[in-house]
Amino acid sequence: MARIEFDRIRKTWGDVVAVDALTLTIDDGEFVSLLGPSGCGKSTTLLMLAGIYAPTEGNLRFDGQVVNDVEARDRNVGIVFQSYALYPHMSVRENILFPLRFKKVAESEARRRVEEVAKLVHVDELMGRRPGQLSGGQQQRVALARALVKEPQLLLLDEPLSNLDATLRMTMRAEIKALQAKLGVTTILVTHDQVEATTMADRIVCMRAGRIEQVGTPDDLYLRPTSLFVAGFIGAPPINLLPGEAADGKLVINGFALTCEGSVAGDVTLGIRPESVYFADAGIRATVDQIEPMGRETLYRVNCPLGSITVLEGGSTFHRRIGDVAMLRFDLGDTLVFDRRTERLVKGAGAQLSD
Amino acid sequence: MEVMFGALQDQIQKPWDRLAARARWMRRAKLAAMYGFLIAVSAPVLLPYFWMVTVAFSSKTGTVDTLILWRAMAILLPFVFGCWIWSTIGTTARQMFFGFAAITAVAVAAFVILVLPDLHLGNFIFIGERNFGDIVRETRTGSKKGEVSGGIDFPSVWLAFANSLYLAGGQTIIVAVIASLAGYYLSRFEFAGRAAMLRSLLVLHAFPVLTLIVPLFLILNFVGLLDQLLGVMLVLVGFELPFAIFIMKGFFDAVPWEIEMSALTDGASRRQTFVRVVLPQVTNGLIAISVFSFIRGWEEYIFVFTFLIDNVNWTMSLYMFFVRDDILGIDFGLVSAVGVFYLAPSLVLYLVAQKYLAQMTIGGVKG
Ligand SMILES: Nc1ncnc2c1ncn2[C@@H]1O[C@H](COP(=O)(O)OP(=O)(O)OP(=O)(O)O)[C@@H](O)[C@H]1O
Ligand SMILES: [Mg+2]
Repeated sequence: MARIEFDRIRKTWGDVVAVDALTLTIDDGEFVSLLGPSGCGKSTTLLMLAGIYAPTEGNLRFDGQVVNDVEARDRNVGIVFQSYALYPHMSVRENILFPLRFKKVAESEARRRVEEVAKLVHVDELMGRRPGQLSGGQQQRVALARALVKEPQLLLLDEPLSNLDATLRMTMRAEIKALQAKLGVTTILVTHDQVEATTMADRIVCMRAGRIEQVGTPDDLYLRPTSLFVAGFIGAPPINLLPGEAADGKLVINGFALTCEGSVAGDVTLGIRPESVYFADAGIRATVDQIEPMGRETLYRVNCPLGSITVLEGGSTFHRRIGDVAMLRFDLGDTLVFDRRTERLVKGAGAQLSD
Repeated sequence: MEVMFGALQDQIQKPWDRLAARARWMRRAKLAAMYGFLIAVSAPVLLPYFWMVTVAFSSKTGTVDTLILWRAMAILLPFVFGCWIWSTIGTTARQMFFGFAAITAVAVAAFVILVLPDLHLGNFIFIGERNFGDIVRETRTGSKKGEVSGGIDFPSVWLAFANSLYLAGGQTIIVAVIASLAGYYLSRFEFAGRAAMLRSLLVLHAFPVLTLIVPLFLILNFVGLLDQLLGVMLVLVGFELPFAIFIMKGFFDAVPWEIEMSALTDGASRRQTFVRVVLPQVTNGLIAISVFSFIRGWEEYIFVFTFLIDNVNWTMSLYMFFVRDDILGIDFGLVSAVGVFYLAPSLVLYLVAQKYLAQMTIGGVKG
């Protein structure tokens, strides 16, 4: 197991900057998720950890030792690729055995470990088959077994669940999380699915265009996003973002004035989560535009003087119909105010209806 | 309701039956047309081979007997025709089997009666006899041993066979090794001039090789490889390589990067990764270029004719050429027999490897 430190890591290909100014420490045994949109440098970061790519600048440390120039094969890192990358010409057993062939492990000991790890991820029935004869979920487990059999000090998962169907994804999510907790191996999961990140990881690193946007627990990112990007990226259905202008304790959105707290001025964006808006006896007058029953909750898209916003209401039965008029409210503590120029959160600021 | 529904079904039933019958008929007609077309286009290619084999096993020195050819044809043509007809008539697998079995039985019986008695191995005298030319000439003219000579001095056919094997096999090994290394490099690594190199690979293949015969002769002479099999081998390698590299690059392109990265993190060195993980993914390509290289070396004629002089260096193609030169006027059965002997290895190779060859497409996407 290892403690991983990124120290101002930068990776470029010609003019393309894939990763920039990446500084981050991952504790021994921690489960961290790298979350971000496509092309933000997640895979590049992972491959630098694996030793496939060398950082252009900066230092990468495992347990305090700089490993920039240590070859991939000497790092003892387990990796599961999105495409699984199983060796097509080998059976499942040979696939799992492969990493042990390059270690000084006795044949009988190697066989024992292969059987053991195969049981752990439930592929012990499939040992004789070729990868081409397995389903996506089974291939995924075999890839996991192959990464785990060498008892890696670091486990890297690059979008391991994105090729699975929704049910299997949920099962695997729980299984991987339980396995990680059991083995205690430092794990980094790459994903662009925020549900995957928030459900599995202890800590989330949200990336954008090669840089870290915010690091924190799932709650930190959801409730206390430090930037407009994180607020918009985390959460489904997404947060309501309403552009407006602030001056003299007033926040004007679409010509509609709200009372504003904190030191806010100039172009700002008001963020309110759909579940923080609720129907009340008095408030902003809104017309229901669209209704999406989602099982436990119902999502309303309504039109109001602030613009078009979404409202999430608990309960599967909905009491409103399209075209109905209703009153909306939200509370000061549930609002986030972002400076539109810097895209940063304005700390301690909020807005509410003027009574 | 019930009644109405039944009436409706009756109405639909009739045209559907008709449509289905018509579709079945069309399908058969198309199949028959397709088989007919295939037979028609392959006949001109295959018939000479059929004749060559027949002549090689039947013709006798000094006699010109074409009757056997016609008899063989009289069996072959009805056989092919019968199979063709039956393939469109038969419907079940059982019918097909018994139909073909019957046709084959008739053909075999006719063969045993009409052709078999005339077959013999006399024309394969060259396999054990170096001086077959003189013997054949004596038989022909009826003169005694030693009276007629002055023909060409032939080496043992097995020497020519071994030379061909050495030339084709050696060339194949060199091409396979270089093409897989170069193809891998071209597929995976970025370097200055990569695009230009790829383009030139194909352009190189477009030049007629014969145009270089004079400079090549001079070069081989200078480096002392003239009249040596190794010299021809290297020349052939030079001509075969560009295309082989191109094919191999296509196959390597189809191998995902991830499995290499995976092998590297699993502890394999670059060389181990190449040999144990990447190469097994491109075996079909390797087999394909090997077979083509081998056949190309086996059939090579112009370069061996130009660059090899001494008869200990003769390959099968040269042997064949001189047999034709010496004997054709006397005994075309013997020439055909040499042809059959020459043809057999490449035929066997094709049959063994055809499964892999069929998968080769430019770009190397495997089926
Ligand atoms: N080998 C390479 N050569 C040049 N540019 C590259 C290379 N690999 C990645 N890039 C670039 O670096 C950036 C980051 O790529 P990366 O693969 O890390 O993204 P990602 O976050 O994993 O995206 P995704 O979610 O789509 O997998 C992209 O702009 C990509 O085009
Ligand atoms: Mg990626």
